[in-house]
Amino acid sequence: MNKAISTRLTFAVAILSLLIFIILWQVIAQQGLLVKNFPGSFKTIGSLIWWVSDPFFDNGPNDLGIGTNLLISLRRVLIGYSLAVLVAVPLGVLMGMSKLAQSSLNPYVQLLKPVSPLAWLPVGLFVFRNSEITGIFVIFITSIWPTLINTAFGVASINPDYLRVSKSLGASKSTTIRRVILPAIMPNILAGMRISMGTAWLVIVAAEMLLGTGIGYFIWNEWNNLSLENIFVAIIIIGFTGFILDQFFGFLQDKFDYSI
Amino acid sequence: MNKKPSKKSSSIENYSHLELFNLGKIFFKEKKFIDFRSKGNRSGFEAIKDINLKIEKNTFVSIIGPSGCGKSTLLNLIAGLQAPTSGKIVIDGQAIKGPGPDRGVIFQNYALMPWLTTIQNIEFALNTVFPAKTKADVKERARKYLRMVGLEKASNKFPKELSGGMKQRVAIARALSINPNMLLMDEPFGALDALTRSYLQDELLSIWRKNKVTVVLITHSIEEALLLSDKIVLMSSGPSAIISEEISVDLERPRDREKIEQDPNYLKIKMRLEKHLLRETRAVEEVT
Ligand SMILES: Nc1ncnc2c1ncn2[C@@H]1O[C@H](COP(=O)(O)OP(=O)(O)OP(=O)(O)O)[C@@H](O)[C@H]1O
Ligand SMILES: [Mg+2]
Repeated sequence: MNKAISTRLTFAVAILSLLIFIILWQVIAQQGLLVKNFPGSFKTIGSLIWWVSDPFFDNGPNDLGIGTNLLISLRRVLIGYSLAVLVAVPLGVLMGMSKLAQSSLNPYVQLLKPVSPLAWLPVGLFVFRNSEITGIFVIFITSIWPTLINTAFGVASINPDYLRVSKSLGASKSTTIRRVILPAIMPNILAGMRISMGTAWLVIVAAEMLLGTGIGYFIWNEWNNLSLENIFVAIIIIGFTGFILDQFFGFLQDKFDYSI
Repeated sequence: MNKKPSKKSSSIENYSHLELFNLGKIFFKEKKFIDFRSKGNRSGFEAIKDINLKIEKNTFVSIIGPSGCGKSTLLNLIAGLQAPTSGKIVIDGQAIKGPGPDRGVIFQNYALMPWLTTIQNIEFALNTVFPAKTKADVKERARKYLRMVGLEKASNKFPKELSGGMKQRVAIARALSINPNMLLMDEPFGALDALTRSYLQDELLSIWRKNKVTVVLITHSIEEALLLSDKIVLMSSGPSAIISEEISVDLERPRDREKIEQDPNYLKIKMRLEKHLLRETRAVEEVT
């Protein structure tokens, strides 16, 4: 089939399905088919437009614009996540290269990886006595495992030919790490960073319900106001932001895809 | 006082370029952190043993042997990429301790770095071996070697954009760019189609003539060995493979691919090689 026609068709189908979804939602809510006072799609879209048209107002911590809350969440994620990547990549390279590092660190990784990062929230509050730093700390713990594990795996499964070339030229260890190992495992690092970012974005919402500000707290606050349509607004915005973040890493992964 | 250097230089003349003495390699199983079964006695797999070989300067030597006999192992030892379990490797009268830029290695699968362009792959080798050279110098030299293998136009392409033959030419250019006096090649043309292979064989011969290098070539192909070599080394089937024969190929150069097949001397050596390979391959098949 003609490619231009097929992409236009895909687009048309997507639009159509969205329209049907919005209408069905409205009808079901209006008729009270689910529960009474369930907000319909029209009301939700109205709220969305209201929040998005003035996103950055600040009337105190319990009344912040949705953009302000989003930026607060993004800042926490970005700081905690960046710190995690800065730790995870060197540590992963070390674990991939050294049997000693691998066998001494792996038990901790395996034990801590399956624990929900929210379990660290009280620990953070106790140690830091500060909700901002605790949020960053929880995101740090969340983000570290996927990047660490992917990096270590990348180093362990690196094409031995590259290392042989490097060795046959008499390259030093640091040259081999900088010029051969790091570029070779870039796809693994990025895959790990993508998963880390996805998880961090999931966890921040939950963490912030307990922390005070941010998009997660916005949801908690609107629950206390019994304003379900505002919660839907937040869900839409969280989903959209997560999608953009994920696409960004998808773009980076394509750039560093060495395969044919 | 001035006797010493002259004595030294005259004694160098007596060395072959490469000498292998009782070379052996055993691969030991990786020791597990806790291993109850193997109580101290480390049993391993003996790939090659008692390899003795002399290769003269600027000669072209092929190593041929059944699949899995230990040809790559031997080449890796000479390259210094692995340490032998026993014996020693002497180059120009000096026992080697590891890899060095005096030996250029060409690997079976080209081994180009996919994140670097053609010219960057060569620059990587140059920067590693000659850290003092300026950027412009390195670039100029990389260009020169790309030109030598006829790939100047592809200098900014990535390996995935090149054909197998082009990749192998880049690998050859990379190995030569560091100006080694020995070229170690592990089945460099095995994966190429017949035409590309002939073309690269001719190119290799002209490079060998011009650059004054000693070549050690591993190959599966009897015809290739006969066309290119001064000496063919036959290995027995593994494990514990040894050198079972060394055959001098005293065919006149330049050798013409068509005419050479009528040479009775050529046919005689070819027959001998085929018989040997068949016998050793049969040995492999019966073991496995
Ligand atoms: N790192 C290693 N650990 C254990 N055994 C190895 C290792 N490398 C090679 N061997 C074994 O040593 C033997 C010789 O291997 P090698 O790769 O040198 O053979 P080869 O002659 O190059 O084979 P081919 O013709 O298929 O390229 C094989 O039986 C192989 O399984
Ligand atoms: Mg081999």
